[in-house]
Amino acid sequence: MEFVAKIFSMAIAAIFVQNFVLARFLGLCPYIGVSKKLDSALGMGMAVIFVMTMASTFTWLIQTYLLVPFKIEFLQTIAFILTIASLVQLVEMVIQKTAPALYKALGVFLPLITTNCAVLGVAILNINEKFSFIEAILNGFFAGLGFTLVLLLMAGIREKLDKAELPKSMKGMPIAMIVAGCMALAFFGFAGLKI
Amino acid sequence: MKYYLKLGFVLLIITIIASGVLAYINSITKPIIEKNQRKTKEEARLEVLPSAVTFDSISYFNDEVVYTGKNEKGEIVGYTFVASLYGYSGDVKSMIGVTPELAVNKIKIIEQKETPGLGANCQKQEFQKQFENKIKSSMMVDKDGGEIISITGATITTRTIANSIKTGLAMLEEITSELEELTSDKEEKVK
Amino acid sequence: MTIFKEFTKGFVKENPVFVMALGLCPVLAVSSSVENAIGMGAAATFVLVFSNIFISLIKNFIPNKIRIPSYIVVIASFVTIVDMVMEAYVPALHKNLGLFIPLIVVNCIILGRAEAFAGKNNVIRSIVDGLGMGIGFTLALIVIAIIREILGAGQLLGFDVLPETYKPMLIAILAPGAFIVMGLLMGLMNMKKK
Repeated sequence: MEFVAKIFSMAIAAIFVQNFVLARFLGLCPYIGVSKKLDSALGMGMAVIFVMTMASTFTWLIQTYLLVPFKIEFLQTIAFILTIASLVQLVEMVIQKTAPALYKALGVFLPLITTNCAVLGVAILNINEKFSFIEAILNGFFAGLGFTLVLLLMAGIREKLDKAELPKSMKGMPIAMIVAGCMALAFFGFAGLKI
Repeated sequence: MKYYLKLGFVLLIITIIASGVLAYINSITKPIIEKNQRKTKEEARLEVLPSAVTFDSISYFNDEVVYTGKNEKGEIVGYTFVASLYGYSGDVKSMIGVTPELAVNKIKIIEQKETPGLGANCQKQEFQKQFENKIKSSMMVDKDGGEIISITGATITTRTIANSIKTGLAMLEEITSELEELTSDKEEKVK
Repeated sequence: MTIFKEFTKGFVKENPVFVMALGLCPVLAVSSSVENAIGMGAAATFVLVFSNIFISLIKNFIPNKIRIPSYIVVIASFVTIVDMVMEAYVPALHKNLGLFIPLIVVNCIILGRAEAFAGKNNVIRSIVDGLGMGIGFTLALIVIAIIREILGAGQLLGFDVLPETYKPMLIAILAPGAFIVMGLLMGLMNMKKK
């Protein structure tokens, strides 16, 4: 029971309280870049959840069984970014072969994810927070879920914004930023929430 | 096939060179980083217990060492420990200097991630000063009927700090009473 | 394009932050004070210049297929160097910037410049390009940080600059303020362009 409670509080923390985009400022490029349409936002979100969970798993293993025993923690950044890059490549190849339908939906977004700082961010955070193996995987999954949630919210708002009458110079990116600010304000209400 | 081997080989060489350079720089910076970390803790200890000359470790609390501070004559002039509890958005850690009578001598916030402009004001001197000379029973925030005046808009942070010091003082009470028993036992044996 | 134009293009015309909207994460995250902004800008500029130099030097030896991974290794090495040196010599700043120093690796500006410029040009031009883009990035960071620090704390570089009667607009240094200030500045840039 205690374990369930812990997972629940981790989920709340990663999705709402410390939302990757709105509270930690990670993964902003796709958040602004891929949030114009609802269905592409959904595709991107799914791809991020998948890669973040996988990346959390593998980087944790590499840190614990490779970097720490050989005392080469200073290679962390290189090791993690290479892991993530090859992981993304591998996932792309596997999906292409085994699930063409899924590849059609996610394929375009996968290369973009390598440079999504949320993925490297969650990998490093898992180590900094001294999470256990299970906790790291779950944290990666929940953080991706939080990312997808705000990405979808944003896409929904932006589809409506397209029809709004705006000053010409505020169209597109600037208004998206201000909307993000308002969302961050709303998410600020979650700060300090503890379960 | 040969082509792919060549690709792997080039990448391997780049990575090996990079690792070598990094290992060299790491060997230079690592001792400095470790020294810095030790120094900041030492400085914080001296700041909260300025009358002490030497510090002896006596126990562990919050994964940090609890020290007794002694003057030149070897008399105990107080204790230091690190108080730590989860505040509003992260752990608030503070170095606490305590007098031999177990009243707070001085506190110094060493780590916090509270909201800038609200909870982060706990780093202000005026706030930290009010803890001086307070004993365990008066570690209570004004909202709970105590004497500690909370930071505007950050009662949670204030309460966290007060509670973390309170549990620390309780821990010290236990340790010092044990130590006293030990020393009185020894004295009896000598008699 | 003359060398001088190459240098100054990143300041306003092709500003990586305001015009190209690249590398937004660190811009929004560390711009709550001017001090952090300068530190972050300097770190990113260092990585940008040195990875540009190295990539333009080794570009002819690297097979096209492994171009991107090789660039990433070069960039990650310089980022790690910056990370270690900062932790050793400016620990307070290192702590403030925290996670965002290792994350310079995935800053789109740096890989973007490596791929679009240093991989195709000679060393001198690559240095100039890296320096120009780095300064443009730093300028953008400082502009946002000045606005946020003055509004949100009534301070500049830690010194009080507004009269004591000014009540700091806290939101400016919190997360929502970062987005809103950025949005308004981008709008302003758009207005000026037309």
